[in-house]
Amino acid sequence: MTDPAPKLAPGVKLRKDAKRGTVLLGPERILELDDIAQAIVAEFDGKRRVSEIAAALAKEYDANADDIRTDIENLLKDLTQKGYVKP
Amino acid sequence: MTELTPIGLLAELTHRCPLGCPYCSNPLELTRANQELDTKTWTRVFEDAASLGAMHVHLSGGEPLVRKDIAELTNAAHLAGLYTNLITSGVGLNAQSLTELRAAGLDHVQISIQGVDPTRADAIAHFKGGAKAKREAARVVVEEGLALTINAVIHRGNIKDLPAIIDLAVEWGAGRLEVAHVQYHGWAIANRASLMPAREDFLTAAKLVEDARKSLEGTLVIDHVIPDYYAERPKACMGGWGRQVIVVTPDGRALPCHAAATLPGFAFDNVKDRSLAEIWETSEAFQKFRGTAWMPKPCQGCDRAEIDWGGCRCQAFAITGNAATTDPACALSPEHTKLREMATADAASGISTYRFRRIGG
Ligand code: SF4
Ligand code: SF4
Repeated sequence: MTDPAPKLAPGVKLRKDAKRGTVLLGPERILELDDIAQAIVAEFDGKRRVSEIAAALAKEYDANADDIRTDIENLLKDLTQKGYVKP
Repeated sequence: MTELTPIGLLAELTHRCPLGCPYCSNPLELTRANQELDTKTWTRVFEDAASLGAMHVHLSGGEPLVRKDIAELTNAAHLAGLYTNLITSGVGLNAQSLTELRAAGLDHVQISIQGVDPTRADAIAHFKGGAKAKREAARVVVEEGLALTINAVIHRGNIKDLPAIIDLAVEWGAGRLEVAHVQYHGWAIANRASLMPAREDFLTAAKLVEDARKSLEGTLVIDHVIPDYYAERPKACMGGWGRQVIVVTPDGRALPCHAAATLPGFAFDNVKDRSLAEIWETSEAFQKFRGTAWMPKPCQGCDRAEIDWGGCRCQAFAITGNAATTDPACALSPEHTKLREMATADAASGISTYRFRRIGG
């Protein structure tokens, strides 16, 4: 299985907004993130791999690492399709 | 008062532009340089927009790079907390100006192209050397590691080049391509007969975009702005009147849409006289077509009323003479057939001369 080190695509910013919560901002687009997505995206630094992020979040939230890994992979796929993230 | 929060500010910093695109969305009556808002006023507008909740600012025009204070303006918008998007022809963007803009806090650059073949592209833009300058501009943007969008305005003269345009966007390293069929406002209405593509060509283009989206997934995001004249349902113009976007013209008028200045019977408030928040919340112009209460039939009660908000007011006015009617792009509008017939006649007109955009034109 591939284990990429995702990062935000060029021109994409993670911002906190008073009215909308945490959002991803790109050219002509905006995506509001829920709490889980927000916690995951904050880890996308282009250095750490999905497996490492899953392990870290599993520890932090006291959850099953495989479940978290599935969450991360699903989100990664979605955000890559939409052009917010590069795997 | 309104509970709505704008998402973006479209700052038309100037109407000056070295190019002369015949489809330019600017009004026929262009604002002259001495009428333009100064740096201080724009700075206040950016701050006001951010406190209202806007997240993006589109630094546009005309050609925004002709403003000598463009770096200062970019910085002011950046400091206000806005995502800064430069919408440029690329003419005037080089390694030096880009480094400066980047240091000022520029987040994203959108460069418009007229086509793939430089000679033909320059002929449409009515500007020699434009295509070459754009190529160079795109190169420095990508080299600086900034995000690049290519905007290609599509019309009869280049619609068959779409596959090459998509290839070019990939080759230039763009992350996003806007395939924007001409929207008939401003100069584009004056040139409609020379710009309108045939319906079959539009359908082919739509299919091409769909296929390219799949094959280029993860490489290039493609946004497709379809031509209303061949649509069945209209677009929510600007996300709905007074819902998402505030346009500020070079001389400071705040509009719900960039073509709104063409509508009669409106007094548009100026940011020199009133705060942006006041204008957004209480001005007559922003309230006029906000929501669904103003709607006539068939929009009234339609299940798409809060999806497309009845379409474009300016198009309704341009075609029917009444801004408060259903956008004729909608197949449910009694004027829809008329719109289709106009498009078909224009597409077959054989006219290939353009009236190029120019100040005092
Ligand atoms: S559409 Fe063409 S003429 Fe109009 S502002 Fe853009 S580059 Fe200039
Ligand atoms: S009738 Fe009005 S609301 Fe319904 S789809 Fe047409 S334009 Fe939209």
